[in-house]
Amino acid sequence: MNIKICGLRESKNIKQIAALKPDFLGFIFYEKSKRVVKKLDKSILKYLPDSIKTVAVFVNQDLEEVTEIMNYYGFDYAQIHGNESPEYCKSLFLENIKIIKAFGIDESFDFYKLNEYKDFCEFFLFDTKDINYGGSGKTFNWEILNKYNIQKPFFLSGGIGLDNIDKVLKFKHPMLSGIDLNSKLETSYGYKSKEKTNKIIKIIHMKYIEPDNNGYYGEYGGAFIPEMLYPNVKELQDNYLEIINSENFVSEYASLLNDYAGRPTPLFYSESLSKKYSANIFIKREDLNHTGSHKLNNTLGQVLLAKKLNKKRVIAETGAGQHGVATATACALAEISCTIYMGEKDIKRQANNVDRMKLLGAEIVAADGGSKSLKDAINHAIREWINNPVDTYYLLGSIVGPHPYPDMVTRFQSVISREIKQQLKTKTGSEDPDYVIACIGGGSNAIGAFYHFINNEKTKLIAVEAGGKGVNSGKTAASITLGKKGIIHGSKTYLMQTEDGQIVEPHSVSAGLDYPGIGPAHAYLYDTNSIEVTSVVDKEALDAAFDFSKKEGIIPALESAHALAYLNKMKFKKNDVVVVNLSGRGEKDMEIYQEYLKDNNCKN
Amino acid sequence: MENRITKLFKRKNKDILSVYFTAGYPSLNDTVDIIDYLSKAGVDIIEVGFPFSDPLADGPVIQESSKKAIENGMTLKVLFEQLKDIRKITEVPLVLMGYHNVVLQYGEQEFAEICSQIGIDGAIIPDMPIEYYNDRVKKYFLKSNLSKIFLITPQTSDKRAELIDKQSNGFLYMVSSDSVTGANKSISDRTSYFKRINDLNLQNPRLTGFGIYNKETFDSACKYSSGAIIGSAFIKNLAENSLSFENVQKFIKSIKP
Ligand SMILES: Cc1ncc(COP(=O)(O)O)c(C=O)c1O
Repeated sequence: MNIKICGLRESKNIKQIAALKPDFLGFIFYEKSKRVVKKLDKSILKYLPDSIKTVAVFVNQDLEEVTEIMNYYGFDYAQIHGNESPEYCKSLFLENIKIIKAFGIDESFDFYKLNEYKDFCEFFLFDTKDINYGGSGKTFNWEILNKYNIQKPFFLSGGIGLDNIDKVLKFKHPMLSGIDLNSKLETSYGYKSKEKTNKIIKIIHMKYIEPDNNGYYGEYGGAFIPEMLYPNVKELQDNYLEIINSENFVSEYASLLNDYAGRPTPLFYSESLSKKYSANIFIKREDLNHTGSHKLNNTLGQVLLAKKLNKKRVIAETGAGQHGVATATACALAEISCTIYMGEKDIKRQANNVDRMKLLGAEIVAADGGSKSLKDAINHAIREWINNPVDTYYLLGSIVGPHPYPDMVTRFQSVISREIKQQLKTKTGSEDPDYVIACIGGGSNAIGAFYHFINNEKTKLIAVEAGGKGVNSGKTAASITLGKKGIIHGSKTYLMQTEDGQIVEPHSVSAGLDYPGIGPAHAYLYDTNSIEVTSVVDKEALDAAFDFSKKEGIIPALESAHALAYLNKMKFKKNDVVVVNLSGRGEKDMEIYQEYLKDNNCKN
Repeated sequence: MENRITKLFKRKNKDILSVYFTAGYPSLNDTVDIIDYLSKAGVDIIEVGFPFSDPLADGPVIQESSKKAIENGMTLKVLFEQLKDIRKITEVPLVLMGYHNVVLQYGEQEFAEICSQIGIDGAIIPDMPIEYYNDRVKKYFLKSNLSKIFLITPQTSDKRAELIDKQSNGFLYMVSSDSVTGANKSISDRTSYFKRINDLNLQNPRLTGFGIYNKETFDSACKYSSGAIIGSAFIKNLAENSLSFENVQKFIKSIKP
């Protein structure tokens, strides 16, 4: 969601607001506006952060004046806010000026006429209709915009402030791409309150689980990387959004998901579980995604991005081997070479996946150090990236690591909840369930399953961590439950650590959950009570896996079995609708299952 | 009191030898002895590493020494306790080097304060980005007269090198090649990078580090910077020889006769 702060004019205030990194800053050149700029310091625009686009606002102004001002200051956009004609916009368009065309909206507004403007504008902006051309501080009835069905993104404007931002964020429109803020943030005309602006920007970012421009979700996230990685990470930060939102990428990615991965994955109504728990239990079948887990959603996207960035080689870490297999698969398809780092312990316990990766043409490198599991594989991959910064793409498999990985992986996994919504609507008549339950290692399948339900009042989101041998046993991977704030793999988040800041070795029977940290988005969601975090121990997960296999004919991954196991600990109301995200299938865990069977012979 | 790093570079700005070791390695209580021996052997700057479990920018040698140091019981608290009287022993500039999480848990402000009490002159925290430092930490470092030493690498653009230079005091740590510590990538083909940075006429002196392990690599690093930093090679030496002044001196002499 783009955030535009409009009506600034004083240098000091401009600097203060720019430091909060909105996406657009607007300067009003309409003489009659109470916020018209007087002596705007040109040099200040030059020193704004690169990520901020600048906008000059005009009302029925002479074309030549507009061009002159645009050129003199070097504004990125002209916002045309009066009764200007399509021809007027066209002539600016022909001068290579990017246009945001604003319209005052009331009940009688004719959206059809916008067709004549749409080819000359980058955005529309819908404001409250007002004789003074904006700045009235009043809102309009946004429902009118349901009549707007042109494929051109728009900003919503008019009287938006802290008092009504919640309502704005509930308003949904497929073309809504930005929020324009002005008078409600002011302490006096043209002077924006730093505190209010800061607060509202945070609220907007969080609604969409988007980090701010520096990659922070509240205080979590960021990019705590050594300078050696700065150019690599910066290249990604600067380009990922533009590439993954480009038309070309969106359509290529969508067809890969449909035709290659086999999406949408089914949403299966489990009769036996529904009966057992007296509720309506649905299983989201990510195990049926190609390669057998949700991981492919992310790797298909990132490999496509790596190609667009002209990278010659992909490296990745893997724990359970599912991300490794998904990476090797996407790389095979894209004909790009691929090296996977995997902890020695995991190479042994997920041998089946190691064979698959090799068959897919990937090189497997054993990561040593630490407990020889997922954390160490990430360390190894990052060091390898430092050693090969130019043509190597690091494909992280969860919503961890430095910005932009958490956000990027979140975007690629959000397809899970998008589908759940549509499927539930068809199956139950309502798109919002009462509960979504997912296991959480780094947090990518969980964020994917939660994404479109976050901050929805009805749906409770439950993340199930790996309790290992027990949360207080010293052999656990319950990173939020036990964690303290710290920095791991370039990101500030909750992690298991000693008082001195040494990262504690995690333990879980499931290699994919065997990680001492958690994605920064989950840390924030946890702090703001947007998700509930709980845990189940190894044995509970194993038992749930057996139970589910026998009753449903689906052998779940040990990771996913953690989510299933939590059903046992819940109390449902009779008509509750519950979605469990079955993040992967269990073939990779056959050896562990066999061993458990042997050890528990009498019981099974 | 004037920062000892600043003072050093005023007096001398070529052939500076800075040596890194991991505190708590080989044994927990070797820290003060190693500092003492290095300073008597004529080292210009000493970098005292405080260990972290997951040192992302380090190769196998420093990974291993860090792991051992943690097992030996080294923590920042223990280290500061060991160093509390260090200024009675030596006036060589001392720089602490380690990872951000350890500093964060200790407290960024408290870290700066105790460094200043002890007489530490600078800190290298590779995963504390410059932007974060400016926003959150700089005020404490300035108050404690503590230099924050930043890295530049072959991939660092001119523009960013200039920005880093402006924010730094003490010296710039010029990473010799695209690598983690201890990799012996040849530095001879790095002259274009060294020259590029040299030509920027930065305000801070530069020391070259990563992959400096003998006289030859030291000398070639000194051609384009004020000196060089040796880490992994010294730690390897500690691992292979018993700790004594003679052994340390022998190692230093092999680099700077
Ligand atoms: C099937 C499956 N589920 C879950 C996970 C845990 O990762 P995340 O928390 O990122 O979904 C993994 C990781 O390997 C996995 O293979």
